Amino acid sequence: MSAPTDLPTRIPTDLTDEQLPEVLGRSLAGLYSGEARLPARPGGRNAALKALGAFTGKDYGARNHLLSPVSRLSMYLRHGMISPLEVAQVVRAGSRRSDREEFLRQLAWREFFWLVLRQRGAAVLSNLEEPKYRAQWSPDLPADVREARTGLPCADAWVTHLTEDGYMHNHERMWFAAYLIHWRKVDWRAGYAFFREHLLDGDLASNALSWQWVASTFSGKPYMMNQENIAKYSAGKWCDGCTAQCPFKGSYEQLQEKLFGWKA
Amino acid sequence: MEGVSTANGPVIVWLHGDSLSPTDAALSAHPQAPALFVFDRPFLSSHAIAFTRLAFMYGGVRDVAAARPGLTELRVGSVSAELAAFATEHGAAELHVTENPTPEFGSILSGVRERCPGLRVVIYPAERLSSYSGQVNKFFGFWNKVQSEVLGGGELFRDQDAPRPQPESERRPRDHRSDRNRRR
Repeated sequence: MSAPTDLPTRIPTDLTDEQLPEVLGRSLAGLYSGEARLPARPGGRNAALKALGAFTGKDYGARNHLLSPVSRLSMYLRHGMISPLEVAQVVRAGSRRSDREEFLRQLAWREFFWLVLRQRGAAVLSNLEEPKYRAQWSPDLPADVREARTGLPCADAWVTHLTEDGYMHNHERMWFAAYLIHWRKVDWRAGYAFFREHLLDGDLASNALSWQWVASTFSGKPYMMNQENIAKYSAGKWCDGCTAQCPFKGSYEQLQEKLFGWKA
Repeated sequence: MEGVSTANGPVIVWLHGDSLSPTDAALSAHPQAPALFVFDRPFLSSHAIAFTRLAFMYGGVRDVAAARPGLTELRVGSVSAELAAFATEHGAAELHVTENPTPEFGSILSGVRERCPGLRVVIYPAERLSSYSGQVNKFFGFWNKVQSEVLGGGELFRDQDAPRPQPESERRPRDHRSDRNRRR
């Protein structure tokens, strides 16, 4: 399909950051969502090398904790602005064995998803396996979730990170995905599309297959968490003093019975 | 000029969303060749993508254009139609590109081939963490196969230099036409 002739087809490659929102916004009018603004982190090889230079892998072994250092290199890896070998080389050269091995294992997850996509193609956008519980999911993202007004300070913060920063900590991604799929009973593909819209590192392989992993259509059981888990790994930042009706309270056994109908 | 032509004739390079660096295999093999990145109008017309994501990618194209001696163009339109037009404008005999695992990659190349039947497509392997290319199903099975390579030999790695990327001269580009059955 050719572009209609009245639409601009060429965009200068030397726009300054000051020019970028207006000129690129005009060139891509009607082809994007949200405000025409610079991303929270700049794209490009130069920014990627700067981010890589600032990362040592130190304390990465504690990566599940929101306050622990993570690389934030995923957006650069996603677009090939740095390569996995360049990143591995830095981590191998400068970090403790436990941090190094945990980081390289996470890099391997990325490669695993890449290989699954190459093997399965567009099928990754359909359930690769049957869900491991009697799932009844609605297709659309609820408006209160999209607009970060669920009334749950934690969930609203996760969405705000996504839409404002184009980035979420991996543990926030997992919590949000579990909340959307298991508590709100929304099809994982609605979450996948929401992430694809905003994540600077959003790619088909890691995004779709991670959602399927949480949904249990690409894993042996559904991923879930409880309030204790959220409080522990966020240092209580949302839980301390929270007055919301918390749906995550309870033991794993109680929540599994409530969400999946599994008797303890 | 070096990198502009092969024995078959002039080369163009397709720069896609997974290859936004001057170190991309296809780009660095042909630093003087005209290269093109296309914002996919049909895709963006039918899928919500935040402007910030597109601006982030723009930063990648901008750095590529500034770093390489050859022409780097940015367009918006149908990717296969723009690539075909770009090939015609530059009298290209070959389109070089680095592998991308998405289904769109194959369909875009098919679209280019339909429009330019004489254009030879050469695909470079993507730079990877491991050399494993067999069947994958569960992560832990995959991890068992690759961990010694990825970790660099575990304990043995401790005093060794990190593995280095394969030199450009040793990379073996692949002719897409000879490998049609591998990708769906």
